[in-house]
Amino acid sequence: MNHLEKGRYGEEIALDHLRSLGWRVTEKNVRVGGGELDLVAFDGDELVVVEVRLRSVGHLLPPEDTVGPRKLRVLVRAGRTYVDRIVWEGPWRIDLLAVTLDGSREPQVELFPDIAAGWPS
Amino acid sequence: MSRICGVTLRGIEAVKVEIEVEITGGLFAISIVGLPDVAVREARERIRAALRHVGNKLRGRISLNLAPADLPKEGALLDLPMAVALAERQQLIPPQKEAVFLGELALDGRLRRVRGAVPAALMARQAGLPLYVPAENAAEVALVPGLTAYAASNLPAVLDHLAGKSRLEAVAAQNEEETSFEVDTDLADIKGQMAAKRALEIAAAGHHNVLLIGAPGSGKTMLAKALQGILPPLSQEELLEVLLVRSTLGRVFSGGRRRPFRAVHHTASAVAVCGGGRDLRPGEISLAHRGVLFLDEFTEFRRDLLEALRQPLEDGQIAVSRATGTAHYPARVLLVCACNPCPCGYLGDPLVACRCSATERERYGKRLSGPIMDRIDLHVEVPRLTPEELVGISPTAGEKSVAVRTRVEGARTVQQERWRPWGLTCNAEVPEKILRKTVVPGDEVRTFLASMARRNRLTGRGMSRVLRVARTIADLAGASEVDVGHVAEALAYRGRGGDPWTDERL
Repeated sequence: MNHLEKGRYGEEIALDHLRSLGWRVTEKNVRVGGGELDLVAFDGDELVVVEVRLRSVGHLLPPEDTVGPRKLRVLVRAGRTYVDRIVWEGPWRIDLLAVTLDGSREPQVELFPDIAAGWPS
Repeated sequence: MSRICGVTLRGIEAVKVEIEVEITGGLFAISIVGLPDVAVREARERIRAALRHVGNKLRGRISLNLAPADLPKEGALLDLPMAVALAERQQLIPPQKEAVFLGELALDGRLRRVRGAVPAALMARQAGLPLYVPAENAAEVALVPGLTAYAASNLPAVLDHLAGKSRLEAVAAQNEEETSFEVDTDLADIKGQMAAKRALEIAAAGHHNVLLIGAPGSGKTMLAKALQGILPPLSQEELLEVLLVRSTLGRVFSGGRRRPFRAVHHTASAVAVCGGGRDLRPGEISLAHRGVLFLDEFTEFRRDLLEALRQPLEDGQIAVSRATGTAHYPARVLLVCACNPCPCGYLGDPLVACRCSATERERYGKRLSGPIMDRIDLHVEVPRLTPEELVGISPTAGEKSVAVRTRVEGARTVQQERWRPWGLTCNAEVPEKILRKTVVPGDEVRTFLASMARRNRLTGRGMSRVLRVARTIADLAGASEVDVGHVAEALAYRGRGGDPWTDERL
């Protein structure tokens, strides 16, 4: 499995997870405003931009630690452009979905909601 | 729009702040407008965490407006009203009637005590609004009569109450009935010093300011502390005034009806004593309101500080003006000053010789003159105790403070009756004009006064002070007229013909 295949595999897992949560996934891999939104879904009436992060066990950082301020800034800007483009006027947020691959076991999935909370607006 | 209100403090006054909320779509953000200070702006993190902790998801762009917009808002006490207003806006609770909330939120939704609960209670009472306070503030709020108040220990309890799910216990109004209080330093514990004790009794009775002059170790500080114990207990109104200042500073109220006693060190700055600072907080003189302000080592105090004390001593309140505004604080204090008679401290001591030169003594004496001295009616010399007195051989075991206090209370009642038509309460407050009209001694006394005035070079103001003190002495004795004995004793508190260190020059 090369890195691209691995990425797709991770997003498959993410997609399944979100559907199991009852979210309605509307978009995959949208390129917008100088960034890419991995998944866009609706959690009830709230639009959620989901950033999927995939890591194999053995990497130094857990997946959730790989989103730093710079990436967050890109996500916020891209998200803003996206909600403008689809003319979404309701509330929206950015979630992080961390997928950890462990060759022997089931992939571990963890959702971090609203990672941009408290971000200077 | 929302009728949820908070308060912000302006001096000792609480000003109502209305909280308005708007939520629009977008990425989550809270912005607070209406001149919030840093503590108020940081409230958004506490509100977010507290509301999420109670299971309320905040989302979208939230704008909180604190009206009136031009009044600076300060302090964490606006956390609770903002959280309640948000909850109402999100329809977690039904639309509310107007009410006042105050409290600082912890991240897990608990409510922390705030400063300013009593000013807020007075404001709410005047506006006829119910008040919600943190449980830790309940005790002080309970002392404000005629108020509907609820105390809660956390945010969910407040929200459940407002939603009608459960009821908060109303704070039961408490009257501080206990008028007796513990005495820290009892007069009976002080050996000897009969003259000084008598002077303290007069000071307490007539609310006269006192200067204690004595060698190091003669017991000036102890005497000053004992004054607290012989002052009558605070009346209900006075208690509220004291409570108000304390609450404004966020101090826990304790001590019941005992009058405050504040000792100020001579290194204190004018702001620390008079009040001020960026947020216009009351100073030591306001904390001592209705009680005793003690300035030990009086001669070491900075000149500007003593000058600043003149106006509050006269008016009973202090106006603090800064760029951020003006605040008026109560400052009716009984001033007690203590100092040594000369730089080395032993002038006039029977055992130790004074080592000061005449120039040193004169320079020292100058520090004790000036306008503030005019406001001190009683100059009392506190001699060092004799060895017999120290070991307790001489039978000078004095009266208990409680006994003296009873006499003081009696004298105060007489004074209140007498000065009621002028709106005054004690002899020391009476202006010269009224004093000369009302305290008219008989011929015999007047002849005596005239001769003493000549001998002591009394000025007009000095004469008034003698008359004021004589009136108090007469009140203590239960006499309706001032007689020669009263005047003679009053003259003794002028010092030896003025100030003791200027003897040579007279």
